[in-house]
Amino acid sequence: MTRPEEPSRPGENFEPYEEMRQIPIGVIMFAVALALWGGVLLYQSSYAVAVGRADETVLSPQSEQGLGLTGAKLFEANCTTCHQPGGEGVEFAIPPLDKSPFLAGGPEIAASILLRGIDGPIRVGDETFDGHMPSFASALDNAEIARLATYLQARFAGRKQAISGERVAALRREIADAGPFAGGQEIAARFDSSLSPQPEVKPLAGGMGISSGILELVNQGRGEVWSCSSCHGDRGQGADTVPRLAGLPADYIAKQLLDYTEGRRRNENMELVARSLSETEREGLGRYYASMRAASTARPSLGGNLERGRELVLSGDWSIGVPSCTSCHGPSAFGVTPGFPGLAAQHPSYTASQLAAWVSGERDNSRQKMMNVIANALNDRDRAAVADYLATLPPVPAPATTADEVKR
Amino acid sequence: MKQNERRIVEGGDSPQQRKAGDGAKRAILALAGGAGLFVLGSIAFDLGILGDDGSHPTNSSERESDMAAAYFSPPAETSIPDGPDGDAIRRGMALFVNTKTNAADFVGNELSCASCHLDKGREPNSAPMWAAYVIYPKYRSKNKQINTMEDRLRGCFTYSMNGQDSPSGGPPPAGHPIYKDLQMYFHWLASGAPVGESLPGQGYPELEKTALGYDPQRGAQVYEQNCAACHGSNGQGQRDLNGKLVFPPLWGPNSYNWGAGMARVNTAASFIKANMPMGQGGTLTDQEAWDAAAFIDSQERPRDPRQTGSVADNAAANHGQDTYYGKIVEGRLLGTGTGR
Repeated sequence: MTRPEEPSRPGENFEPYEEMRQIPIGVIMFAVALALWGGVLLYQSSYAVAVGRADETVLSPQSEQGLGLTGAKLFEANCTTCHQPGGEGVEFAIPPLDKSPFLAGGPEIAASILLRGIDGPIRVGDETFDGHMPSFASALDNAEIARLATYLQARFAGRKQAISGERVAALRREIADAGPFAGGQEIAARFDSSLSPQPEVKPLAGGMGISSGILELVNQGRGEVWSCSSCHGDRGQGADTVPRLAGLPADYIAKQLLDYTEGRRRNENMELVARSLSETEREGLGRYYASMRAASTARPSLGGNLERGRELVLSGDWSIGVPSCTSCHGPSAFGVTPGFPGLAAQHPSYTASQLAAWVSGERDNSRQKMMNVIANALNDRDRAAVADYLATLPPVPAPATTADEVKR
Repeated sequence: MKQNERRIVEGGDSPQQRKAGDGAKRAILALAGGAGLFVLGSIAFDLGILGDDGSHPTNSSERESDMAAAYFSPPAETSIPDGPDGDAIRRGMALFVNTKTNAADFVGNELSCASCHLDKGREPNSAPMWAAYVIYPKYRSKNKQINTMEDRLRGCFTYSMNGQDSPSGGPPPAGHPIYKDLQMYFHWLASGAPVGESLPGQGYPELEKTALGYDPQRGAQVYEQNCAACHGSNGQGQRDLNGKLVFPPLWGPNSYNWGAGMARVNTAASFIKANMPMGQGGTLTDQEAWDAAAFIDSQERPRDPRQTGSVADNAAANHGQDTYYGKIVEGRLLGTGTGR
């Protein structure tokens, strides 16, 4: 390649004509217009920042969840999607609180159930329920659980006996890592034999009945491919933008893994991992994480408005065409298999990043682009609000893995 | 900006000894022209000539809320009063959204009022209760008489809620508190609405017939693509971990019976077009809505409680056009009911 002859460099001094010729008026006009534009943008963004800061101080999680909420408000915010505003429950699905014998036995039972959750069959009145109630240990503090338990007693059992925050703190220490109550049977045995008879609890399978191959994938990885737990944590609890997997519906997890291998969902790391898996392994991993029990490690972190988040999650905003999250993901945001993942206790950075991916179209693997449409209707602040509020919800109690199920 | 001005001034001071006013003139011209350009640019952006879609994520919602302004807006849930009237309103709302539990004796399927009256009976074009409340009592050709709201509600329990298969074997008896509480809820939703007027958003907006007519076979494809993710390929809805029904069943023993309005293809098509898939109302074509409705309403469901003789007799007496009741689809007579 021959180099074109280098033009002689102009002198450093201005040519005389340059000193005389003026900058064309059009260029100056353009510069003025740009300067004006810049000024306006600066002003607008400083205004937006100021508004954002003001919102954060007014609506920070601390002031939102604050100590001020009464028992009635706590009930409304935490219990009514499942147990209903009147405490009547839902036939065949959610036990009633109204006149429930479990509430008549003193506030410690209610406080213990709130702290531990229930994961096993329970008989209330004449009806037997499947019994998957989340633990509110991560969602509510001791004083709140005390106020809520006292309120439930008074409203639904007509008892005036109160429990103190200190007593709840002691219960919390006693309970430590006990996990959810294994159905009504354990509650009856622990507190009040008059609650018997309770349905029999099928024994949990040892090692959760997951094959050693799956456990190896989870804990050690295989060959070049790293383990699930190296990013998602040893209990599938996730962190930050890495999603919590514990308690997600099994078929949902298997479907996402398949979508990664077939290019319907995109993430370089996950595509690499997923391509190394067989169908049996995808299903096995789904079952493994669906039955995993893990406390919530998610906390609001995006400065979202929790009140707005609650509105969107529980009621939706029909004026912008957004139905509630719970209308598809279930009343406790536990998910509905296979199409709808659980959202409760998910990390806000992950939820928000997914909502953003639905908006940009980077993620588009929901049926009929349902999530793209919904995420698009929300603005940035709504998405942060939803993500933060979902992080405050108690996690899915794992479906009981019984010996029978494992043999399938 | 300052720099520009200085340069202009410098220009004025050039060796050519321009007139002093010249620089000032140029400065004014530049400022005015610049401001003009800026204004022109802003106007162009606002009109969308320069705008790009990505920067307007709220556009669609703004448009929708503009439309929403045309509808009556019922009071916010937080404004339900305290006291006995507020308690009745709350009971009515609970009946509306959790009908199976709160009216257990009179409900013979797994639907709620809110299954078809979306957003707890508030959503326009999904037969909102604020619009219905103000036009009753009214004459209905269905039973050829003047109906009060209680009469109308009894119809809902009889057909849509399939009262015949409930523990009591029928709708709540006349004067039952269930009717009172539900009406208290509707009355409250309609606070401030003009009585006797047909409000925009009332009922399901009637869908015009298409040239092609409707066809369950085409509808099966529409259904699988657009409806099955939520309602299930078998139309029986889906449950969460606790067994709580999250999506309502569309046919079979747990859905509305053959006497329900929704069992008519035109009613179902109108509902679907305006409201389904959830959050995406208006996105199916008219043809798709008709075909999906035809597919759903050509499935077997609980019998028509008005039937005393044969299905054919009842079809002649009580069923008009746009229904598969009494017709034979794929070699099967429809209308015989589902066993429980």
